Amino acid sequence: MEYILTMGVLIAIFIILASSYNLVIGYGGLASVAHPIFYALGAYGASLLSIHTGMPAPISVVFGGLVAMIASVLLALSALRVSGDYLLIVSLGFQLGILQVIKNFEFTGGAGGLSSIPSTITGPLRTPIYLAISAAGAALTVWLIYRIVHGPYGRAITAMRDEELAFSALGRNATSLKVVVFAIGCGIAGMAGGLYAFYFQYISPEQYEILQSASLLTMVVLGGMGTTWGPVLGAVLLIALPQLITFLNLPPSVMAPLQGIIFTSLVLLFLFWRPAGLVGNAQKRSPLAAGTQDLGGSA
Amino acid sequence: MTDPIVLLQILWTGTVTSLSLVLLTIAFSLTQKVTGLWNFAQAGFMGLSFYAMYWVLNHLQLPLAVALAAGFVAAAGIGYLTEVFGLDVLRARNSGNLTFFIFTFILAEFIIYWLALLFGTEPQTLFKSIFSPVHIVGGIAISDWDLQAVSIAAVMVAALWLYLGWTKQGQCIIAVSDNAKLAELYGISAERAYRIVAIISGLFICAGMYLVGSRGGVTPNSPFELVLTATIATLLGGMGRVFTAAASAIIIAILQSFSVLFISARWQALLLYIFLFVTIVLFPRGIRFARRKIIPAEPAPPAVAVAADATPEV
Repeated sequence: MEYILTMGVLIAIFIILASSYNLVIGYGGLASVAHPIFYALGAYGASLLSIHTGMPAPISVVFGGLVAMIASVLLALSALRVSGDYLLIVSLGFQLGILQVIKNFEFTGGAGGLSSIPSTITGPLRTPIYLAISAAGAALTVWLIYRIVHGPYGRAITAMRDEELAFSALGRNATSLKVVVFAIGCGIAGMAGGLYAFYFQYISPEQYEILQSASLLTMVVLGGMGTTWGPVLGAVLLIALPQLITFLNLPPSVMAPLQGIIFTSLVLLFLFWRPAGLVGNAQKRSPLAAGTQDLGGSA
Repeated sequence: MTDPIVLLQILWTGTVTSLSLVLLTIAFSLTQKVTGLWNFAQAGFMGLSFYAMYWVLNHLQLPLAVALAAGFVAAAGIGYLTEVFGLDVLRARNSGNLTFFIFTFILAEFIIYWLALLFGTEPQTLFKSIFSPVHIVGGIAISDWDLQAVSIAAVMVAALWLYLGWTKQGQCIIAVSDNAKLAELYGISAERAYRIVAIISGLFICAGMYLVGSRGGVTPNSPFELVLTATIATLLGGMGRVFTAAASAIIIAILQSFSVLFISARWQALLLYIFLFVTIVLFPRGIRFARRKIIPAEPAPPAVAVAADATPEV
């Protein structure tokens, strides 16, 4: 039972993460691979604040979100100043660079990871309470993103994504809107990181490597990029599916790449056979349709 | 004050170490120039090429020539297949640029996971020993590997320069890179140019990975860092300027080599990402060196200047 509840916590956290990534890449059309590093910054920010100051978990989680948000603004401002093309490259470098920093500092626990994160809830009801908190967080995130993208602000976001030139010609500032969307998405990811850290009480840099970027991308593409429920379905499927493989009792050296192969195969399959994803409407304009970003190719 | 011989040694080692990056940067930059695509899938192609050579040499125990052929077939083959069954399909669908990014990025990951599953994540080298006989020339240690790297890089760069500038096919590729639609109006097939570039890139990737794998250990994940360096060099050199990007790769490697004098070893890896930020923030369009202007004795008609400026950069 504990195992199933823990899976529930993980699914809820990944719904938050995938939905926030969908806001960035799906609705905002911002090609970034660094979402896991904002998740990491949130996790480390919240954990370190709590360890060193004894700050309560909710404040630490919000602090983690703020750390991620500030970092994302700095990243987006430097990259988007020139062109949307650079966000992808800078985000990749940023992710690998911050991981190097985390691995090299002693106060972050180095490559071995950070343990001794205080448990704020104890007792037999710890996991059910965490599940309730994470599920509420997931529901709140989905609702918040729904409200953002279905309101006037959301129409501006999709207009900016689909026709940036026309959007700018109307006197709107596309760059500032991109920075705001990116900051909101990354801030939410940071808070998800804080939630993860307080439940599992151990975080390590290898949890935020490129594998995690591929997993998140899979959740969003598989579920349906630019849809409200797509990332939710993607997160549920992609956390639940690999659990089936765990029953095969394969060694970790086989398990990790096998999971990666499954994730990436699914993305490739969906990219060619159902770009709209499981939830997306194939007839509707998808973020993967032409002209959503000036990156990529003559294509 | 550091001994000048030590400085010269660092300069030499930095330069020869950069030559593998030069070849990989040319593969990346040429693809970017002609197709307009940041082809991150090349990280996967690099891994595949290396492990093909490693497998032929260490498991099949076949000669080096066969291993090199396998490395080339693997890199060029997967590059060609990616063009035909991946990128061409997406182009035909008029897919968005985000789709191209996701495709190349995930394809690289897909190949890397397969390599990790088949070969593990421990670093592997092409040869059992990476020691190479050393000669002392003027106090500087020059190994046989260094000479081999210089020869391979010089021959390949010169061959590409001649091919692009002096053959009809090379000029067709340049035409496609300048304006694919206009080139097609003149009967040049852009699709064919993309495929040729995929094969040429495969050749450079194979040579680059041979140099990387004969000098140090490679893991399935290593090529991502190599692609990132190639990306930085491409940005620094200025997009569409293949040989300037290659020169930038040398500068990056030399700066990294000299950094050992100032930065502790554990922070060395971070230097690459600092380069990336500095490049994006300070040189987003690459470093442009001012060209020497030829002042005509008499005022020249404007069309001459326009034509001179229009000469394609390679």
